[in-house]
Amino acid sequence: MISYHPDSRYLTDFASANLSLAEAVCVSAHLEFCGKCRGHVQQLKDVGAHLLIQLEPEELEADSFTRLMSKIGSADAAASSPRTPAEPALSLNECEQDEAARSKELPRSLVDVFLPRSVRSLSRGGLQNLSWAQLGKALRVAPLPIFGESRETAIYDIKAGGRMPEHEHRGEEITVLLKGSFSDADGSYSRGDFVVRNAGEAHQPTATQDTDCICLVCLERPVRPRGLFYRLLEPFVQYRLNKLNRGPAF
Amino acid sequence: MGSSDETNGKKPAQSWAAQLGNDPWESELRKVAQSADRLAFKKLFEHFAPQIKAFLMKGIGSYGDRSQAEEMTQEVMIKVWNKAASFNSSKASLNTWIFTIARNTRIDFIRRNSRAERKIDIEDIWHEADSPEPIVDLQQRRVETQVRNALSTLPDEQALVLEKAFMESKSHNEIAQELGLPLGTVKSRIRLALSKLQILIDR
Repeated sequence: MISYHPDSRYLTDFASANLSLAEAVCVSAHLEFCGKCRGHVQQLKDVGAHLLIQLEPEELEADSFTRLMSKIGSADAAASSPRTPAEPALSLNECEQDEAARSKELPRSLVDVFLPRSVRSLSRGGLQNLSWAQLGKALRVAPLPIFGESRETAIYDIKAGGRMPEHEHRGEEITVLLKGSFSDADGSYSRGDFVVRNAGEAHQPTATQDTDCICLVCLERPVRPRGLFYRLLEPFVQYRLNKLNRGPAF
Repeated sequence: MGSSDETNGKKPAQSWAAQLGNDPWESELRKVAQSADRLAFKKLFEHFAPQIKAFLMKGIGSYGDRSQAEEMTQEVMIKVWNKAASFNSSKASLNTWIFTIARNTRIDFIRRNSRAERKIDIEDIWHEADSPEPIVDLQQRRVETQVRNALSTLPDEQALVLEKAFMESKSHNEIAQELGLPLGTVKSRIRLALSKLQILIDR
């Protein structure tokens, strides 16, 4: 049962396509779990559609339709010749090598997760294809590289019962639960939930005992861990994450 | 959710369209889908393309000019031609389907012309997720009529924020900056407008 949804700002900015890619990836992921919000986005698009239909029409260039039909004509002609398959993002060979190299160290949990389309696309097919960094005993993080974003997007894998370091947010944080559940002082969250924390809020999420928790996380600015240990660790963590971000990523 | 759906009974999508009066443009699109009917496509072009161009000119802002809006309009119409068979009137009205295509073309254009991520396909984010439960379809149909009737009755300040969000391609934050309003005010104006259109989002 999903209890936490994006608010009207996220849904409107998503439907009008004015969210940053990183935020849109999160909303899009939630929508795959939530029929109610999908319904709202559809309604919001109806608003856009009616506004579009009421716009003062702009004059088209005189030969607009003729040029359009010649483009369509030549595309059709090309299509009737034997089709060339779309080029895969990575060559198969590359994918296989990657997988062979990585699957050894990977727990099955990563392979079983239902991935929303946006995450599947960013991780090139599966979480096992990402570069993971172990941060402490209970937490592993894999950045999802979205070039040109001021936000950091990543997948967090928290071990069952694992506790994240208590941290405070310097900017907004969006978490979408892809698997398992976690709780903090404010409540407990399960698969599909869209949880937003604002700047200045501190929390210490803990994964539920019985299963690993996998989340999509989008941070406006890096969080500041509260404990002394983690504050000392922070530069190191940032270094590792930055390195991964720049790494051999696609 | 599931139970009220059963008590209402499922009706085939066609009957909803029939209740609302068939959109004549939908049957033109069906001709394009079924027999690559160029005359029907020309009618659709003449009806929709000038408004699509207006939408794109408003939305691409400093990223492009009039001639680029013209090219993008052609891009949108090529997609209408190619995707005609995938149009499903039980999921969305034709207007909404075309708005979605134009909107995605616009994001893609802006992305190509800015320093943004290019490797992810826009359609992998702004995609049409699998159809919601029928109950949502039913509400959505009702909303379409509501939207049509109620949009013209909105107070100016509410109509303005909707226009900026959907036509001028501005986020809540950008609208707040432009109008010199707190973000909360923009959000509540949009929420008020939406609730008048019977779009009732919890938060």
